[in-house]
Formats: sequence, C-alpha cells, structure tokens
Amino acid sequence: MLHLRPGISSWLRGAGWTLLLLAGAGAVGRLSGRSAARQSSIAVAPAVAPQITFNRDIAPIIFRSCAACHRPAEAAPFSLLDYSDVKKHARQIAEVTQSRAMPPWLPEPQKLKFADELCLADSEINLIERWVEQGAVEGNPADLPPPPKFVEGWRLGKPDLILTANTPLTLPPSGTDTYWNFIFPVPIQKTRWVKAVEIRPGDKRYVHHANILVDREGSSRKREAAPGAGFGGMEIRIESQVFDPDSHLLFWKPGTVPYVEPEGMALRLDKGTDLILNTHLQPSGKPEVIQPSIGLYFTPHAATKLPMLLQLENDVKLDIPAGQKDFLVTDDFTLPIDVELMAIYPHAHYLGKDIQALATLPDGTKQTLIHIPHWNLNWQAVYRYAEPVRLPKGTKVSLRYVYDNSEENPLNPNHPSERVVAGNRSRDEMCHLWLQMLPVNFDAAQGDPRMALQEALARHNVEKNPADFEAHYNLAAMLQAKDKLEAAIGEYQAAVRLRPEDAAANNAMGAALVAAGHPEQGVEYLQAALKARPDYFEAHYNLGFALAAQNDFESATQQFSLALQLQPQDASVEANLGVALAQVGRFPEAKSHFEHALRIDPNQRIAKESLDVLQKEMNSH
Amino acid sequence: MSLGGPRFRLTIATALVVCSGCALAQNALDLDGHTVNPLATDTNKVVVLVFVRRDCPVSNRYAPVIQKISKQYEDRASFWLVFPDKSESPQDVRKYLQDYGYGLPALRDPGHVLVKQGRVQITPEVAVFDRGRHLVYDGRIDDWYVDLGRVRPAPTTDELNEAIRAALAGKAMAKSEVRGVGCYISDLE
Repeated sequence: MLHLRPGISSWLRGAGWTLLLLAGAGAVGRLSGRSAARQSSIAVAPAVAPQITFNRDIAPIIFRSCAACHRPAEAAPFSLLDYSDVKKHARQIAEVTQSRAMPPWLPEPQKLKFADELCLADSEINLIERWVEQGAVEGNPADLPPPPKFVEGWRLGKPDLILTANTPLTLPPSGTDTYWNFIFPVPIQKTRWVKAVEIRPGDKRYVHHANILVDREGSSRKREAAPGAGFGGMEIRIESQVFDPDSHLLFWKPGTVPYVEPEGMALRLDKGTDLILNTHLQPSGKPEVIQPSIGLYFTPHAATKLPMLLQLENDVKLDIPAGQKDFLVTDDFTLPIDVELMAIYPHAHYLGKDIQALATLPDGTKQTLIHIPHWNLNWQAVYRYAEPVRLPKGTKVSLRYVYDNSEENPLNPNHPSERVVAGNRSRDEMCHLWLQMLPVNFDAAQGDPRMALQEALARHNVEKNPADFEAHYNLAAMLQAKDKLEAAIGEYQAAVRLRPEDAAANNAMGAALVAAGHPEQGVEYLQAALKARPDYFEAHYNLGFALAAQNDFESATQQFSLALQLQPQDASVEANLGVALAQVGRFPEAKSHFEHALRIDPNQRIAKESLDVLQKEMNSH
Repeated sequence: MSLGGPRFRLTIATALVVCSGCALAQNALDLDGHTVNPLATDTNKVVVLVFVRRDCPVSNRYAPVIQKISKQYEDRASFWLVFPDKSESPQDVRKYLQDYGYGLPALRDPGHVLVKQGRVQITPEVAVFDRGRHLVYDGRIDDWYVDLGRVRPAPTTDELNEAIRAALAGKAMAKSEVRGVGCYISDLE
C-alpha cells in the first residue's frame, strides 16, 4: 500500500491509467488469483517499469510462436497477425500461455533438447500477462517488427507425387471425437525412396493429429466396406509377413513443419504399397468435409542408414481399478547394441497423467528422454531430438506412465469411473512408447543390426508376457533368419498355440518345418493356414513345396497353380509349377511355364536350368 | 482498499469509465440494424441470451447443444444469440447462422448493453431471465470444457437446463453464477 503514491501521480498523466485501474479492479474469473496477487505490483509498474507495448514487446513473441498456426487456412480458430487480432484475444492469450495450453507443447524443459520446441520462456509468459494487465497497449508503430513470412501451399515446394483421399469424410457437427483411417494406394511402378512427406490433413482446424502407417501388403484394405471408403478406428495394426521394420514416424499435428530426412535416410515405397492416414478429428459445431492429401518428395538415393522403430509397452499390466488415482505402469528394456535415438513418441489415452521415459546408461548416469507431467491425448506428438542421442549397448530404456482413473480426472471417459484395461478403443487404455533408433558402431558383415534389436525386444516381451502372440512370432522370425530353425519352430509353436487359427503363424510354422526337413509335419500347418485364409498366396506356395518335398507332385501342381492364380506374375511360382509338372510327365505344360517364368525374370535360375534339362529330355524322346 | 488514497483513486476511475461507457452505449441491434430489447418481449416466456463469437471455437462447438436446448423449450423460452464483437457485420453473422444451421434470432451487441445486463464475461455464456425479467443465472452452459485445451468426453453438469427450469418455476438457482470456459468478452472492448 505504501507504493500507491507513484500510482496516483501516474494517473494524473492521462486516461490510459484509469483504464488500467479498471482492469485491475474488475479482474475476476480465470486470472483472478494471480491478478489479485499482482494488483499491488501493477500500481508500481508505471513508475518503475516502462509500458509494455504490443509493437515492441509482444509482437515478436506472437509472430515467432503463434502466427504459424494462427493465420487463415491453418489449424488455429482465429488469426494472430496484427495488433487488432491479438487485442481481441488478449486475456485469453494471457490465460492459455500461463496454463501452458498454448503454444501446444507438453514436455517439461529438459537437458536433451527437441527440434522445433514450441514452448515459451517463463519471462515471455510473464511479459504477456503484464501487458494485458497494463491494458494491452499497441505502442509505437516504429517498434513493430516486420510481419512473419510463410510459404503458401506445399511447404517444400510442389511434391513429386500428390495423393488425395478417394472418399472425403463428413464429420458430424456434434458428438464425440472421431478416429478415421484413409487409405492412399501409391501409384508407383518401381521402388521409390521418399526423403520428405507433407501431410495435409484436410481442414486443419478439425484434425487434431494424423499419423501415416505404411502397409506393404494391402492388409488394411480388407477393413474397408468398399474400396477407397476408408474405415474407422483409433488404433490400427498393420500386418507384415516379413521383417521390415517400418522405421519412420510420419506424423502431423497442428504446427508441424514438414521434415526432410537426414542424409542417408529415406522411406522405401514399393509397388503396391498403401499409406494409411490415421486421423483424430474433433467436431466443430457444423458439418465439416475432411479430405486429406499427402505430398511425397522422392530422392534418387536409396537409404543407407536404416533406423528402426522400437516399441516399449506394457499393456498387459494395464488393469486399472475404478477410482484409482495413481496407477503406475513401467517397462525396462536393455539395448543389445549401440544406437542413436532420433525421435520419441509416447502414447496413452485419456487416463494417462504423468508420462516419462528415462535412459540409464551403463555407467549409471540417468537421462530424461521425455517427461510430460500433464498428459493430453489431444496434443500427442512425435518429438524429434535436436541432436541424435547416443545410447550405448547396455543402456536401460524405461517407461514410467502414471494413470488417473479417479473421478478427479476430468477426461475420464467413464462417469462414474470403471475398471479400465488395455484396448484399441478410446475408452480403453494404452501404454506405448515408440523410439526411433539408428544402430551405430556395428559390423555390417554380421547382417542387419536391427535384427539384434528386434530379437532382444521380442525376447523381452515373451518374458514379460508369455501370452504375447506377436512376441513369440517375431522372436521365431528372428531365430529363423539366423538359421536357428529348431528354436524358431519352438516359438512359432507357442504362437500357434496362442492363436490356433492365425493364418500367418500357421504358414510360418509350416514353412519352418519344411525348411527343417519335416515336410510331412509342415503340411498340417499349411493346410490350417489355408483353411483360415483360402486366398493366401504364400501358404499355397509353401504347401506346394511341402508336397513336392514328399514327392506328391500331382498335389504340388495344384497348389502352385492356385498360387499362380493369386499372383500370375511370380516367376518363382511359374518355375516351381514347371518342375512339378515335369515330374509328373506333363512336359509341354512344364516348358510353357518355364518360358513364362523367364519372360517375367530372365535370370530365374530354376526355370533356366530346368528348361535346359527339359529340352534335352524332350529331344531325346 | 480501505485506505483513503486508493478509495479516492478508485472512485474517480470508476466514474470516468461509467461516463465513457455512457457515451458509447449503443443498444443491441438486429441484423437489419433495428434496436431490439429482447427483455421487453413476450412476457409469457423466460428469456435466454446466449453470447457467442464467430472466432471462438468453444462457442462454435456448442452450436448443436444450444440448438437442442432451444428446441426443447421452444414454447416456453425465447432464445437469442448475442454477438458482442462490434467488428462482426450483420452479413458475417448471417453467414455464421447459416453455416451452423441456427434458426434462432440473432442480435449484435456492440455497446455491450446486454453483456452488462446479463453479467456475462466469456463466450459462450448464457444469461437466463425469468418472466419478471430478473436474472436467474449467468454463466456456462455446462462443464463440457475443463479449460481451453481440455474437454470432457461428455459434460457432467447441466446449468442451462437447470436455469431455464428454475426461471420457469420462478425459483432461484443454488449457484446463480458459474463462469464459462472460452473467449473473454472484455478483450472486445
């Protein structure tokens, strides 16, 4: 109160101060606590501190940290490009910067820096608050920095290939959030390498985030009601027959700047690959038509650095009793090789509260990889490190997620609170942490270093949860790749036991048995695979092989023919069918299949060699 | 504020502002520019003023909720959408009503006369007046928004409905004022 004297003298200067007083006196509502606490300091301000102005003090912050989204046709609901825009939202800006709801940036400041950090400094937040309390004055036009410049249209220039969703989605005006998947077939005839992807999610104001998944085997198309229609679902799983670590995090959220892969890295796209855009949409109050597109930028250079996405998870531990406020789930994985951590992507649903990932180095040093003290699914994001983080072999990577299933969690989807377990629906929970890792310091002669990571992870998951089907399957695949066939068969066996009707597991089990020299046992699994999925190309092929290995060439020709109907341009099936036909004496047919195989692939070895033998055989008769 | 100094200062400040407010005061207008006092209409009905801004995403997301409740009380409550942003033209408002499928009458309140009568501070907030035109409730529609950036899957309160029922019954609300989450009307001054 002793400070009020300067306040009176400044009131005498003019009307500006009277308005300010009113703002102080009338400050109720959301800023009230803080405003009240600061009223005495406001009174001092005019005498001891200069007037904070938009042009000199606030515009640089707004232009740098807000305007990229707060401009026409971008994600934000209103523009913040000049004084009148900002003045119309001044108190709101002070409030959301204080609460750190804006700019949207969830991680706590930490030693390991992220690229494109969006958070404001405490001093900047404080400056905005004081500016609003002082009456949000415009100030001297000469102080205004030049307006921010933005690239219009595609940020990286015209893409080499633009894909647009076949069928737009009409988002209803109200209701809960919608999760929708758009499928984009990639019309390329040969393998291409992608150095950058720009996701245009449709109307950016209503798309909360979007994630691209690479589907190399068309497995998602089966989920569409009609081709090109897309399909609903928050979490999707992409099936893959082969070890093909999908190594790129292709993510969009409001404010995302398209990202060019570092030197040596690129995403491989093959003929027949689909890109699946998984989107999270929020109703706006009126119907909205959402039609996303994807811009691809190619590079002629094949990737030389091959990162891997490693997933820590512990969904099996997610069984959260109703009302439980602090439910902790952890997972610890020890790295079998040296890696560089490129990016991190934590994921939980609405009960997630405090999300943390840590690295404990072999020397015992601990590093926080990410810490989000107030998790908010709506602002989930992929975070790239400003510099890759070196994590040597033996580093323990840990996740620690705390969930709040109490009534106090306003985002709790159940009211009253209910027991919640892991699942794909938004009302279920998840405990996932994706890490993009690049193996380093490895001997290329020892094979793909990512296989060591995958094997260690699968082993870890099998130990954590013996009922984890994928873990057994993946571990088996890695063992098989290392020619540890008996061990692989044991793991496939475990996978088939968990899902006796799974086509992929039965096929892999059958193929491993054939490879291990037990074709008679393999047949049973391959038949089971075909019972589960009659149009399963690989299973027909493998069954043909298993039958041929038992000298049942008649049956083998049938299986190879069925395989050929599914993939008519497969040289290897053509060649094997030729061999089986030759074995049962159907020489002219065999010859035509060998010739066809060689038309598809002039270097098809079996076809080439067999055709020679067959010619001699036919000539001698 | 009990010392002589500040009281003196406050008194003058308030007086000045009231005066400047008087000079600016402009009654609410319909979209054709005619002065309208929604509180001087059909006294058989209670009056609900719903304050919204076109550039307030929270206002916008409430459009279906507002329409649903207004339909529910069609014959007992007069609903008015009130736009307190003086920079919004009648054409802007007409376009907005069309986009969001509103069938409610809309008023512009550039002088914030209705804002003051309804004691609202945020968009979207409502002011509910009974048949005697006493203010029964002012504030949020429900608790759907926790704060800017966090939205419940579904609201757990229903203040607007309760306020209308109280106004119809001539009763008071237990809490006659619950502030909303959204955009500050004071930023428009």
